[in-house]
Amino acid sequence: MAIAPELLQQLEEKRQIAYAAGGLDKLAERKKKGIMSARERLAVLFQPGTFMEFGLHAQHDAHHFNMADKAMPCDGVITGVGYVDGRPMAAYSQDFTVGGGSVGRIHAKKICDLMEYAQHAGIPIVGINDSGGARIQEGDVALSGYGQVFFRNVLLSGVVPQISVIAGPCAGGAAYSPALTDFIIMTKQNAQMFICGPDVIKAATGTTVTMDEIGSATAHATISGNIHFMTEDEAGAIAVVKRLHSFLPSNNVMDPPHRPSPTLTMERDPGMNELVPADPKAPMDVLKVIARLVDDGDFLEVQRDWAKNLVVGFARIQGLVVGIVGNQPMVKAGTLDIDSSDKGARFIRFCNVFNIPVVTLVDIPGFMPGLAQERGGIIRHGAKMLFAYASATVPKITIIMRKSYGGAYLAMCSKDMGADLVYAWPCAEIAVMGAEGAVRILYKREIAAAADSAAKAAELAADYREKFASPYEAARKGVITDVIEPAQTRGIVAMALRNTLSKRETRPPKKHGNIPL
Amino acid sequence: MKKLRITVEGKAYEVLVEILDEAGSPTVPPRAVAPVLAAPAAAAPRAATPAVTRGAGGSGEVVSPLAGKVVSLDVRIGQTVAEGAQVATVEAMKMNTYIYASKAGTVSEILVNPGDGVEEGAVLLRIG
Repeated sequence: MAIAPELLQQLEEKRQIAYAAGGLDKLAERKKKGIMSARERLAVLFQPGTFMEFGLHAQHDAHHFNMADKAMPCDGVITGVGYVDGRPMAAYSQDFTVGGGSVGRIHAKKICDLMEYAQHAGIPIVGINDSGGARIQEGDVALSGYGQVFFRNVLLSGVVPQISVIAGPCAGGAAYSPALTDFIIMTKQNAQMFICGPDVIKAATGTTVTMDEIGSATAHATISGNIHFMTEDEAGAIAVVKRLHSFLPSNNVMDPPHRPSPTLTMERDPGMNELVPADPKAPMDVLKVIARLVDDGDFLEVQRDWAKNLVVGFARIQGLVVGIVGNQPMVKAGTLDIDSSDKGARFIRFCNVFNIPVVTLVDIPGFMPGLAQERGGIIRHGAKMLFAYASATVPKITIIMRKSYGGAYLAMCSKDMGADLVYAWPCAEIAVMGAEGAVRILYKREIAAAADSAAKAAELAADYREKFASPYEAARKGVITDVIEPAQTRGIVAMALRNTLSKRETRPPKKHGNIPL
Repeated sequence: MKKLRITVEGKAYEVLVEILDEAGSPTVPPRAVAPVLAAPAAAAPRAATPAVTRGAGGSGEVVSPLAGKVVSLDVRIGQTVAEGAQVATVEAMKMNTYIYASKAGTVSEILVNPGDGVEEGAVLLRIG
């Protein structure tokens, strides 16, 4: 008694047909170009032997245009679950060798089924995009497939982390699925993402643009801000997926993978004191502060090349996972502008939904002044920072390192915005506005009447600065927790995080707030 | 003579500009240059980032990434600079912003003087 051998043989044959994808010749051609196959990409992502495939025997559903007899192994997308660093993750990988990776009804159904599985199982999902677009032969059914994927992207948003890799074309409507996910990683090699290509732009507007200008990883990483990470190739992109995974919980009811160091050290770091320039006008590189603050200087910066006046990313501090938001005075004087507000707010909201404490490093002279900013809607965009911080219920620890002025002070998570603990360095300047500007309003008449009005203004400004542009006025009124030496920062933040980790804060029930968009 | 196209609120004007002194001596009022070049950035609110990126590219134009006051020019005309070398300092928002060479080369033109106000995207100097 045993299963009939021909049945086993048939199973094996069917498997081999699916593994051959669009044909061994096409796979070989791709290899020659140095591009991985859809399966190879998953093999690099998952620990060996852990991939469990869903829908290996799927076939397309198209009947018109002589499609009925055409085989499309897996319907152009490989879906399933595997392990990354010992934790399960769902992934799909579009196969360009099968019908150009085009999305038909079954292709979309496979992605949707995987998304539903990921939601129910509470595991992250990664989509590796490499597709020519909707399968035209299937018509509106293909379009509907995209709609169903988008709908589930939104359902899963804030439930499990969703990561997109763009490793090939991703054009038109297809670009909106990655756009709805949490992180987009794009390769410089072989990838484009755009809504309307150069030909359509030319026809519609008469403007000549190149694909590099509108759709390359570089354009999206530095100008549009559509993507979060740019890598040379697909192996690099998959490495970023793994890096991200190492900081993220599997779902929104789990804590991120904290690895608290068994003994907390409060050891001073004199190097931090040395980073602070004596001249308040000399910029301090916040990346150097972060490198000293986090474990082993290991910081996964998100959107590194866009809106560089704000630095955001993931790290661990004495083992606890944190999201770091820091002003970067080396770029645009560290001001908040439209793009950096969008960048910061979205990052804070990601941290909040996935229970990642937020550490804010403040060194901000204000919002960016200018016609372009005002007319571009800095009010609406800057408000996102306030909204994101105020609505975040995760532990919020704020370090006011140097400048912290006006509305921007609030937008960098002051106590009023719900920061649990706020520490200031002795060089912190916390004030409603700069001293020079303030005295011009406060002592307008006195300055005008003085024999040497410039000297009078300078004298009054120095007086104002001493009184208000220091942390002690704020400390006296209880709007900051304590004044600390820069050298103490790492120890104190680590302790503050441990003390606050059990934070539970409930808000009035509602569908959702109405963040200014 | 230099032919320039200036776009103000979507309308393009072609103008001829006579450069009186190529070396950019104080006889040329540098402020006249800065607002003209800043005009396209002001007309298109989101153009700020591309303008900076273009300046930081290979064009040799070193632009101010934000509106502010020129504190110092840290190079002279004719000086050879490496890519990324500090060439000027602009003060804005109570903070010094260091400006770096967009490419390696020789400083061919300096368009501003210390103390000048500059707009975002204004060309500070050119590297040939």
